[in-house]
Amino acid sequence: MTSGKTIIALGLVIAAVLIQTTVFQYIRPLGYAPALGMLTVIALARFLDPEQTLFVAFTGGFLQDLLGGSPLGLWASTFTVVAFIALKIRDREIAGTPIVLLGVFGLTLIGQFTYVVLGTLFGQGTINRPGLVGHLLVPALYNVVLAYPIFWLTKITVRPPERTWVS
Amino acid sequence: MFPSGRRVDRSTALFVTLLAVGFLIATFDVRSSGDSITTVIRGGAQTLAAPVQEAIDFVVRPVVGFVDGISNVAGLSDQNERLEAEVRRLEQRLRETSALERRVAELEAINDLAPPEDLATVTARIYSAGASTFDQIRLINRGSENGIVVGQAVVDEDGLVGRVDLVTRSSSRVRLITDPLVSVGVRVQDTNQTGVVTGRGDDVLRLDMFDATQPVNKGAVVLTDGSLFPPGIVVGFADETKSADVGFALRTTIDPAAAFSQLDFVKVVVGWSPLDADPEADDSLVDAPSFTDPGLGRR
Repeated sequence: MTSGKTIIALGLVIAAVLIQTTVFQYIRPLGYAPALGMLTVIALARFLDPEQTLFVAFTGGFLQDLLGGSPLGLWASTFTVVAFIALKIRDREIAGTPIVLLGVFGLTLIGQFTYVVLGTLFGQGTINRPGLVGHLLVPALYNVVLAYPIFWLTKITVRPPERTWVS
Repeated sequence: MFPSGRRVDRSTALFVTLLAVGFLIATFDVRSSGDSITTVIRGGAQTLAAPVQEAIDFVVRPVVGFVDGISNVAGLSDQNERLEAEVRRLEQRLRETSALERRVAELEAINDLAPPEDLATVTARIYSAGASTFDQIRLINRGSENGIVVGQAVVDEDGLVGRVDLVTRSSSRVRLITDPLVSVGVRVQDTNQTGVVTGRGDDVLRLDMFDATQPVNKGAVVLTDGSLFPPGIVVGFADETKSADVGFALRTTIDPAAAFSQLDFVKVVVGWSPLDADPEADDSLVDAPSFTDPGLGRR
C-alpha cells in the first residue's frame, strides 16, 4: 500500500465533495445533482488496493456527512458499501464502455438506495420523501454522464495497475 | 476474483469494521441530539472547509450567472411582456386589497404581533448547499461573531427560509423549512386559524390543522405564529381550497414563499428569541405560590 497514492485518492474525493457542495448548488438540472463523491469512489476502486479503496471511501463519506445535514456516519457507511461492491465486480472478466457505464449506474443506484435505507433507519424519514424514485435514478444517470471525465481524471492521477474491468 | 483468499478476508474484515464504525457514529450522533463531540467535529470541519467552499463559490457564481444570462437572452422579450402584464395585474390587486391590509393590521394589533421588519437582522450570503439532493440545508458566511445562535430564523425578501441549526465562529448551517425535521407553527392570515407546517423534502410543504373550523382557501397566506419563529413572517400560500377531513383535522399543501433554488442572500433574525413569544408565561414560572409569603419569590 503506498501512502502517496492514498493521499492523492483522498484529495480527489475531498475535492469531489467540495465541488458537490458548491458548484452543484447552482447546477441542478430537474432539481437533482450528481453524486460526485460516490462517482469518484467508484472510479478509484478500479485503481487502488481493496484496503485503500475502503479507507478512502469511508473517509470521503465521512467528510460528506460533516458538510451535509444528515447524521454522521450515514454517507461514510454508504460509500463503504459502494466501494466494497465495486471491488467485488472490478476483476470480473467484463470490459467495454457500456458495461462500465452500466456498472456506474448500478453502483450509484445501490448507493442512493443504501443511503435511503440507512437514513430511514436513523430517523431521517428519507424513504417517505416525495420524488424518491427521482432521488434514486437521476443522480445515477448524471453519474453516467460524468463517468468518462472522472474516470480519466482518476486514471491520470492514480497510476493504474492492470485490471480487466478497465475498458 | 481476488489474487488470494487471504486478501478477500482482509478487505471483507475491514469492510465489516468500517460499517460497524459508521453505524456506531450514526447512533451516537442521533442519540446525542446535536449536543456532543459530533457537533464540535462538524463545526471544525465546516470552519476548515468554509474558505475553500467560499473560494469555489466566488469563482463559480459569476460563471453560472453569465451562462444563465446568455441562455435567458432569447426569452427576455417574452418575459418582459409577461412581467408588464403581471405588474398591471398586481397594481389592480393592490388597490383591491388595501382594505384587507387594514384588516390584517388590526388583527395583528389584536394579537399583539410585532411586524418582522422591526427585528434586528444580519445579512448573510449562501456559499454552499447540502452534499446530496437529500440534504435540505444551506451554509451561510456569518456565524457567532455576528451574533448568530442556534434556533434563529432565516428569511429572504419573500418569506421564511429556515432556521439556524449549527453555528461556528464565521459560518452557520441553515436547515430549510422544506426539511422533514423542521416544523413551523403557523396561522392562516384570512381566518387566523393555527396549524403546523412541516417540510416534505421537496418544494412543497404540508400544513396540518387540528382545530379547523373554517376551510383554507387556495392562495391563503400562511404566516408564522410566533412560537418558534418571529410572528408574521410569510411561510407560503395554500395550494388548494380544503376543508376539514375528519372532525376538525385538516391537512393540505403549501407553496413556500421563498424560492429555495434561487437563494443567494438571506437575513438571520438575531433580534428575536422564542422566549419573546409569551412573556406572561415566563412570569408565571417565577411567581411564588399564593400560600407563601407574598414578599418572597416575586420579582
